[in-house]
Amino acid sequence: MRIELDRPRCEGHGLCEEAAPDLLHLDDDGEVVIDVPEVGDDALERARAAVRVCPVAALRLA
Amino acid sequence: MAIPPPTAPVDLFADDILVDPYPTYAALRDTGAVVHLPDNDVYALTRYDAIRDALGDPETFSSVRAIGFNDGVNDALNGTSLASDPPNHTQLRATLSANLTPRALRGLEAQIDRKADDLVALLAAGGGFDAIDALARVFPLEIVADLIGFTSDVKANMLRWGEAAMQVIGPMNQRTMESFPIAGELYAWCSTVTAADLAPGSIGRGIFDAEARGDIPEGSAGNIIHQYLGAGVDTTVAAIGNIIALFGRHQEQFALVRDDPSLVPATFAEVLRYWTPVHAWGRRTTREVEIDGARIPSGAHVAVLFGAGNRDGRHYADADTFDIARNPVDHLAFGYGPHGCAGQGLARMEGHAVIRALATHVGSFRLGDERREPSNITRSIARLDVVDIVPA
Repeated sequence: MRIELDRPRCEGHGLCEEAAPDLLHLDDDGEVVIDVPEVGDDALERARAAVRVCPVAALRLA
Repeated sequence: MAIPPPTAPVDLFADDILVDPYPTYAALRDTGAVVHLPDNDVYALTRYDAIRDALGDPETFSSVRAIGFNDGVNDALNGTSLASDPPNHTQLRATLSANLTPRALRGLEAQIDRKADDLVALLAAGGGFDAIDALARVFPLEIVADLIGFTSDVKANMLRWGEAAMQVIGPMNQRTMESFPIAGELYAWCSTVTAADLAPGSIGRGIFDAEARGDIPEGSAGNIIHQYLGAGVDTTVAAIGNIIALFGRHQEQFALVRDDPSLVPATFAEVLRYWTPVHAWGRRTTREVEIDGARIPSGAHVAVLFGAGNRDGRHYADADTFDIARNPVDHLAFGYGPHGCAGQGLARMEGHAVIRALATHVGSFRLGDERREPSNITRSIARLDVVDIVPA
């Protein structure tokens, strides 16, 4: 599965980083950087959690 | 085959339900994920999944002329980001939230923490205080005043303006009728305020400068200030009052966060889940839609009951238990999706700062008198005495 970001919608709330710090992080400008876009089975649960907690629905798994 | 949803003889805006909606929420959830309420002429969404799905689907659940529960307020809000759908909504929202995102507010965080710490230290040393007048109302007002850069004469009006701005979203009952003139004062101030009225260096001043430069559409600065004040005061007052009332009832939970400050964000999330500040918010269906086998007609007015979804046992185990360790990051108190609360980053900073300050300066306390008054949209405590404080 692939983590996709709707960048204009992202407001940098940072809850995704707390859910999956090994998959994505906020850079110094508060912009989300997806470090591991292609998610394997081992990280799928954390990726789902990151997508789920985004308060503005800017992330999705495709 | 889809059938009409069940009906319940419930007035969501009756005094006793506004003061304590949770028994009604439980009954409505048991009745169905969507329940038709003829008294309010709405279809209420009661369960977590139904609410989250609707908030994530603005094409089906429109915000245009739908947010409020009377025509007057929906007319007044028409054209704002709150009452728009994508794609119109996208630019309006970006303009509104540009100064409210966590990245934009980063510079304010230390200041917010310090203010909370100073205020709570002073109150704790006094042995007792009214948690609403002396803390829950004072603190967000100061933060919003600093943010927008307004001065003392406006500050004096802010609480009644902020309260009225939420009250008028309700149906045309006595509370709404009495609040319209007061909400009108706020609107009038926002449409006449100029950059020169706001403190240099403030975010409010910056918004007017952006309008003067043509970075945001002409006339939008006043609108943005209006939304900051209308949405950012009453709700945060409620949340901060709830923090103290819940710590008072659950001293063992307060002890947990005192011992482990890393629980501060989880604590605030649980406060918002357990006692959700916003009671009901509207949407309108753009087509016939089926939820759990029940059919809502096209063009129907929908009432989203955030607090009911937040207590849904289908989503949260022991949903009626206040338990900060559950860390309910996906709670619905800020809504969800494209219209998710634009000020939630600021609200979190304020809530976290107050919890940290209480954990730092207060060892234990008891609750004295507590009084709630019915309010159409914001569920908050009007008076809450904190007594017998043992400093930390």
